[in-house]
Amino acid sequence: MSSKVQAAPHPLLSLLRLPFTVLFAVFGFINRLRANRAGFIGFLGLLAYFILTFIMPYFIPFDSEVNLDEIAGPVGSRIQLAVHRDNNHLRSFEDLAGKTVGVVDQTGGPSLIAPYADSINIEKYRWTSRRAGPGVRAALIDLANKEIDAMLIFSKNVAELRADSEDPELQALLAEHIVISNPELGPPHLLGTDTQGRDIATHIVHGGRILILTAVIGGVISTLIALVVGSLSAMIGGAFDAAMTALSNLILAVPRLILLVVLAGLIRFENTLFLGLMIGLLGWPPLMRAIRAQVLSLRERDFVEAARSLGLSTYHIMFREMLPNMISYVMINFIFAITFAMYEQIALLVLGLAPIDDYTWGVMLYFGRSRGTLYNVDGASMALSPVLAIAFFQVCLVLFARALEEVFDPRLRAAV
Amino acid sequence: MALPNSDLEINRSGVQSPVAAVQQFIAAYPIHKNYYVRIFVQAILTIWAVLTVTFFLVRQMPGNPIDVLIEQILTQEGISYQEAYDRVAASFNFDPDATMLDQYVDYVGDLLRLDLGTSITSPGTRIIDEIARFLPWTIFAVGSGFLISFVLGIILGMMMAYYRDSALDHTLSLVSSFFTGVPNYIWGLLIIIGPGISWNWFDVGAARGTYDPGLTPGLNAAFIGSAIEHALLPIITYVLATLGSWMLSMKSSTTGVLNDDYVNVAEARGLKDRRIITAYVGRNAMLPLFAQLSISIGFVLGSGVVIEEIFVYWGFGHYLFQAITVRDYTSVQGAVLILSSTFVFSNLFADLTYGLLDPRVRISGEK
Repeated sequence: MSSKVQAAPHPLLSLLRLPFTVLFAVFGFINRLRANRAGFIGFLGLLAYFILTFIMPYFIPFDSEVNLDEIAGPVGSRIQLAVHRDNNHLRSFEDLAGKTVGVVDQTGGPSLIAPYADSINIEKYRWTSRRAGPGVRAALIDLANKEIDAMLIFSKNVAELRADSEDPELQALLAEHIVISNPELGPPHLLGTDTQGRDIATHIVHGGRILILTAVIGGVISTLIALVVGSLSAMIGGAFDAAMTALSNLILAVPRLILLVVLAGLIRFENTLFLGLMIGLLGWPPLMRAIRAQVLSLRERDFVEAARSLGLSTYHIMFREMLPNMISYVMINFIFAITFAMYEQIALLVLGLAPIDDYTWGVMLYFGRSRGTLYNVDGASMALSPVLAIAFFQVCLVLFARALEEVFDPRLRAAV
Repeated sequence: MALPNSDLEINRSGVQSPVAAVQQFIAAYPIHKNYYVRIFVQAILTIWAVLTVTFFLVRQMPGNPIDVLIEQILTQEGISYQEAYDRVAASFNFDPDATMLDQYVDYVGDLLRLDLGTSITSPGTRIIDEIARFLPWTIFAVGSGFLISFVLGIILGMMMAYYRDSALDHTLSLVSSFFTGVPNYIWGLLIIIGPGISWNWFDVGAARGTYDPGLTPGLNAAFIGSAIEHALLPIITYVLATLGSWMLSMKSSTTGVLNDDYVNVAEARGLKDRRIITAYVGRNAMLPLFAQLSISIGFVLGSGVVIEEIFVYWGFGHYLFQAITVRDYTSVQGAVLILSSTFVFSNLFADLTYGLLDPRVRISGEK
């Protein structure tokens, strides 16, 4: 054997070069990706999802405060300041100094007004008048009769009570005397509120991290198992190959739903991420078959044959000759494995078959469906928001994977 | 070879032992080496393994039907535990004292006699009847959904390959990514929320079930119309969810075929475009998709659970889901038997028919 043509660089030198190599690779990759507009959009979408679900939760607190008078609010709903028509100039908390303001218990109102509690007289009302104390309707009537000067109210309530056709007198009274002087007082509910009056937007921000992590764990595990088992099966062959093929056939033939339900029940886990582990442990067979077929065909290629006749080690042949030829395929299938893991865990959550520990998009969907918000246009946001969040995430992943396919596949690249 | 020797022994004794007969038969006809016999036996073994795994798995599910009912009776009627236990054991077609192994032996024995047994939670209901009641609806919905999306996908995929890198191709590949990316139950929910509730195009509540109550099943217009109406939403969902992958597979397959020599030759011979598209490109490009079709049907029967729950369509998925939730072990086993045999045999079917469809494989197989 002849000696190596090129001397290997000093290990420390290559270590120093590593960050630059990675940086160049990333920039080169993004540059190539830009040619594929759809793929670039998918890439940007994934970045946006990363920021939304991994970074924004540190800045936006999870809204767990139950607000009974903000139940199932439509998109864009928020707390507003309602005043009598004569007092239309009252618009801010500063204007309200010395006035009497009605707030409804158990709403965002009290916490909103708390810093001004010294300067403002607060009149408390209850959400329902069935319990002791006057309710929202009574508060509005008091406001119309100028018994209180202003009132903090959830946007939907005024519209609802005004449209209350059963009581035309009340309707006329409210329409005549009450105006919303400041429709933008409280924090906006960008995506409306759920069946407990909690802000959906904060749930969307907080509900993605665990779901995406679980899906990535599932994807990583299934891809790794598929890669190892598939290439070993092809390289070793014989009894091992037969056993692994039989095992993959068995796993494919058992309905996934039942397997997952049983495993989810059997292993009492505190962490939703274990669901990803299980999905990964069950998800490898299709990819393993494909990788096995690839390795079998690569083994017979000329360059592998050449490497073998040069007397290079099996390790070299596997990792230097064959893996680079499969890596793009594996990467793309890794992304598809993520979408698949996402699909499965959300299906389990929607059916209510997986243990519910974290309030994820899937859980929002489950509650949104089981509490019937699907069938109510105003409240549909509770189910629609996670539906769209999931749908766009999956679409971004698929767009990205497709773009990778084009970037990696020299045959397709040459044709462009 | 030991064959002549054993022949001699048989002739000498005049009595043929059955073992020797089998040995002789196998030696004369090596069926264990026959490809078809081997894959068929493999398929049967796989199904048996799946059933065994399922049998023990369903019994490991948290909660069991009897304990649930015993507790209900205990709290409602205030009788002793033994009384409640006896009553439940009598009303359920299930002996909780039998060991799991005994149950398994019974179950396999029944299966060999082609008896799927009766439901645990509703005694007297034969599982085969239940499956016969629910399965056709799912086959109808899934089958028509698949057929429509397959045909549409093939047409659109070929168009994408023919007009490669045109605006049409880019739009369609974006659309197909969108179709594949969005999970099928999400399509279902979007259909309910969008056209169903927000725009009020149709009444979601009326589309529940498999046909309008009060109609008698049969070959009359009212019943068939109603059945189609009820299946429409699941069918649309299946079409939307599977269309994208057909389009892309067909596109890549057609692109490959278009570069083949015989297409160039056909063009050079001056054949009509239509004939080239259908007989030369279409037929060859479709081949890999047929294998995919039969394989994915096995998958979809199982994944129909969520769709049927969302649309409250009373098909096979609904049946399986109900059986899982009430822990009706025997019903789950029956459903799994159907699902896994569909999967295994559709794979087998794909393997076997591929040679028939593709002469190139047939020839290399004969070598």
